[in-house]
Amino acid sequence: MLNVKDRDLVLPGQNLGNELFFDLNCYSEDGVVYSAVEGMVRVDGRKVKVVPSSGGYIPKEEDVVIGVVAEVLSGKWLIDINSAYLCSMRGEEVTREKKDLSQFYKAGDVITAKVARVNEVYSCELIKPWKMESGLIIDVNPKRIPRVVGKQKSMLNMLREKTGSRIIVGQNGKIWLKDGKVDLAVKTIKRIERYAQKQGLTDMIAESLARETASN
Amino acid sequence: MSGDDDVILIKDGKRLDGRGFEEVRNIKMEVSVLDRAQGSAYIEWGKNRIIVGVYGPRELHPKFLQDPTKAMLRCVYNLAPFSVEERKKPGPDRRSVEISKVAAEALSSVVMLERFPNTVIDVFIEVLQADAGTRCAGLTAASLALADAGIPMKDLVAACSAGKIQGQVVVDLMKEEDNFGQCDLPMAIVPRKKEVVLLQMDGKLTREEFNSAYALAFDGCMKVYELQKNTLLASMKKFVGEGGEENGD
Repeated sequence: MLNVKDRDLVLPGQNLGNELFFDLNCYSEDGVVYSAVEGMVRVDGRKVKVVPSSGGYIPKEEDVVIGVVAEVLSGKWLIDINSAYLCSMRGEEVTREKKDLSQFYKAGDVITAKVARVNEVYSCELIKPWKMESGLIIDVNPKRIPRVVGKQKSMLNMLREKTGSRIIVGQNGKIWLKDGKVDLAVKTIKRIERYAQKQGLTDMIAESLARETASN
Repeated sequence: MSGDDDVILIKDGKRLDGRGFEEVRNIKMEVSVLDRAQGSAYIEWGKNRIIVGVYGPRELHPKFLQDPTKAMLRCVYNLAPFSVEERKKPGPDRRSVEISKVAAEALSSVVMLERFPNTVIDVFIEVLQADAGTRCAGLTAASLALADAGIPMKDLVAACSAGKIQGQVVVDLMKEEDNFGQCDLPMAIVPRKKEVVLLQMDGKLTREEFNSAYALAFDGCMKVYELQKNTLLASMKKFVGEGGEENGD
């Protein structure tokens, strides 16, 4: 039995209903399901979940992230991915030989990589790194990233097409852009972030992109 | 904290600021006031001005303090030197350490610390202007800031004080009433389950007086809770845009 409608705004401790299936941002007590964060509740039959309006990034396997090398140790690097948890990357990802790793990536370098493994205390390992030399990196609320990518990358592809920029989206809230109309891309991404929960957002963005590119 | 018979705190059935015995002071709340903090809140409660910043969950140093089963919640309550009439020397004093401790305990009872092992959640309660009831106002704002940071919690924490002035039990003491009154009873609750997470008493009350003061403080907390909810909902509406609630996808 539901006490809320799809797309209602909910607060921590708000009663969502009982006999429901729920996800990470909810909790249950005595069979009743409550929200644990502030956000928008999405209802799908008897499943509820709360899309939080804010929150940090928690590493997940298969995510692509953009991070900064924090420290070079013997045999691995420690990488800051803007989360509560530091990531490590083994030296073997780049070279088989026992060389000084700072020749490949040194502290302060920006890389994009994939999250390979996450353990119970959320420390994770990165693989398949790629160094980013130039370009622009912007910060985006990690909870809005799915909106920037869109269903089957629809939003992201539209952005790439209309601005002609190279864009790499890190699930940890960092987006790298280069070439093309970077300013327009940044402006559009910030708009998507602002109106993330609005319906018909994809059309709204398509319209505004068409307007901006036509006027040039 | 002794009752001072020369100071008149109640005149013609009203308190010095014109309030009734069961009237809470004017409160204004706002969230997301600090860009660099994960979550933040600002509260104006009567003449109190308090700002709270929440940082985390983030790496906890030194490493030996890390707990692989849950996050640590660190709370630092501080009175700015200019927050009180007589300049307060900067730095923690015994009272600040006490308030930091009870506030951290109150918040730890609702925050789901097990979700973030090996990390720390830092809550900074900074009092910019103090006029009694700062620990209640600070806790209320801290709870908002935690929600603003997206940190999972079982419920918000709402706080309010009650006390006794000139033999009369009243709610929400202000500075003069706290200084010259006979008792101060700050309380914080978890509204949904109606559980008390902070209860302190400074002064003397008979059992009946305690029961009335407890009831008044509890009611005050529920009123504060309504304001907290409205503040958070209003701040979320900004990100949803108007009319985002009508039809399903």
